[in-house]
Amino acid sequence: MIVYLLLVLFAATFLVLIVKRDEIAIIAILFSFFSMCYMFMNPEIMVFGFGGWSPPFGIVWVLDKLNVFLALLVTGISSVIAVYSLKYIKERRHRYYTLLCLITIGLLGVSLTGDIFNLYVFFEILSVSSYALVAFFLNEHAIEGAFKYLMVGSMTSLFILIGIAMLYGLTGTLNFADLASKISHDPPYMVALGLLVAGFSLKATIVPFHAWKPDAIEGTPAPIGAIFTSVSTAIGVYGILRILFIFNLIQINWVLILFGAITMLLGALMALVQVNVKRMLAYSGVSQIGYVIMVIGFGTLLGITSGLYHILNNALIKTLLFMGIGIGIYLTGKENLNEMGMKNTPLLICVGIGLLSLSGIPPLNGFVSKWLIFMASWEISPMLTAIAIIASALTLAYSFKIFSAMFLANRKIEAKVPKILLIPVIILTALCVFIGVFPQAGLNMIEPAVNALLNQNQYITAVFGG
Amino acid sequence: MIEVYVGMVLIALTGMYCMVWKKNMIKKVIGLGIFTNSIHLLLIAIGFRTNGIPPILTQVNADYFAMQAVDPLPQALVLTSIVIQLSVTALALGIVTLAYRHLKTLDTERMNRLRG
Repeated sequence: MIVYLLLVLFAATFLVLIVKRDEIAIIAILFSFFSMCYMFMNPEIMVFGFGGWSPPFGIVWVLDKLNVFLALLVTGISSVIAVYSLKYIKERRHRYYTLLCLITIGLLGVSLTGDIFNLYVFFEILSVSSYALVAFFLNEHAIEGAFKYLMVGSMTSLFILIGIAMLYGLTGTLNFADLASKISHDPPYMVALGLLVAGFSLKATIVPFHAWKPDAIEGTPAPIGAIFTSVSTAIGVYGILRILFIFNLIQINWVLILFGAITMLLGALMALVQVNVKRMLAYSGVSQIGYVIMVIGFGTLLGITSGLYHILNNALIKTLLFMGIGIGIYLTGKENLNEMGMKNTPLLICVGIGLLSLSGIPPLNGFVSKWLIFMASWEISPMLTAIAIIASALTLAYSFKIFSAMFLANRKIEAKVPKILLIPVIILTALCVFIGVFPQAGLNMIEPAVNALLNQNQYITAVFGG
Repeated sequence: MIEVYVGMVLIALTGMYCMVWKKNMIKKVIGLGIFTNSIHLLLIAIGFRTNGIPPILTQVNADYFAMQAVDPLPQALVLTSIVIQLSVTALALGIVTLAYRHLKTLDTERMNRLRG
């Protein structure tokens, strides 16, 4: 089943270049989205062994609730972006779709695999296609961003490889479930843990590793910026969560809380002073991931629930904003905040809802997860709640800056927006409002994922018993 | 065995020094290659066994085989990793070529200064 999904995606990657029809890529990505919907309905943990080998020896893909939730999010966002890009990208579109298919394979593989070296391979597929997509426009900004991202990205990927080598040398296995049953908390294991977490923090953009992101996003097409700030960071956070899960260390962790709080504040402050709209949204993404890392550091049920909920909401809101503002860039050709005033009612409503949701105004989805985050941090320390509220206020400030620059400026361009650009934005806006009005719908998706994360024994028995 | 690990750490530090401190883009890419190869050395060293035999089951004595054979898995991992690093290096050199075409320099400091 999973093998066919991979085959379809890989085949689409090459067929787009050979046949030169972009629809193939869109159909393949939509197919992966619907098959993930089907997998999501299945209540049990599913184990797929490649090549007929039983779990500890061969490569396995394990689909527990956490995995499938992430894969659903990834393929959903990818398919929205695939439809949107059909109009947005004007030149060399076949190469763009090839890379988009490849990045989807990477994201899907990292989220679904149950083998740590297989995770590294898919992580590299994701990274290499990301570097190529950053350089896609081939202008100075794009080249500079791509080179910076490539250097820091491949260095931290190698940290992951050292961590994997150390774990293999210490335990003699690469399977997640097998590792989880053999790992202890001695110093050498902790060094490997540190290397692996450092490697994934680059994708998640936690503060000492955040510097590549604004530079990279400034050069990319806007929809790829959406992938970087929404699902690519989600995959980074998932990597950290999975490593902590293997080490059975889902508990209060002041290092994560500290770095999360710093990320949150610094990202919001840096976003305030930007003049380029893409850079501003990139820093905003850094800031939102700070909340997630902080609440994951609490290790409580409420903390992890709110963290995963915020990953979902951040992915929806950031994709909506990048695509909405991408329409502005498409129409005006400008990225500077002072030059992109425009007049278009549907776009105003969508981007306005996205910005209100980003800053956590009820009854939108951003409010739900932020409220949960405030409650979770109140349990640990009221000080952290205060920091989170300050960061939230800063978010409102830069959101208003974007809104006023786009829609309240004097110099206005009256422009007609192509429908194919507007429909994905409207779908995401509807989802944001829906989750805000019915928060239980989102919680129903996340609760099984949190239970899967907190129950290590269930995972191990599912892999070896099946 | 300890010499191999010490050597690996030294090579890795050399590679990281190249990647972080050198200003020339090509030298940074070379540093990346050095760092990668040090990790390949680490992986091979993990699978090494003194007086080991090739991991191909020709004798019937499975116990002797399990005692003496070299671990083949790290070598498979290294082969995979080499292929990945090949593609990363190719992409990096492609980007360096484009950077030279646009900026007429390979100096990363001057690249930053151009942006202002």
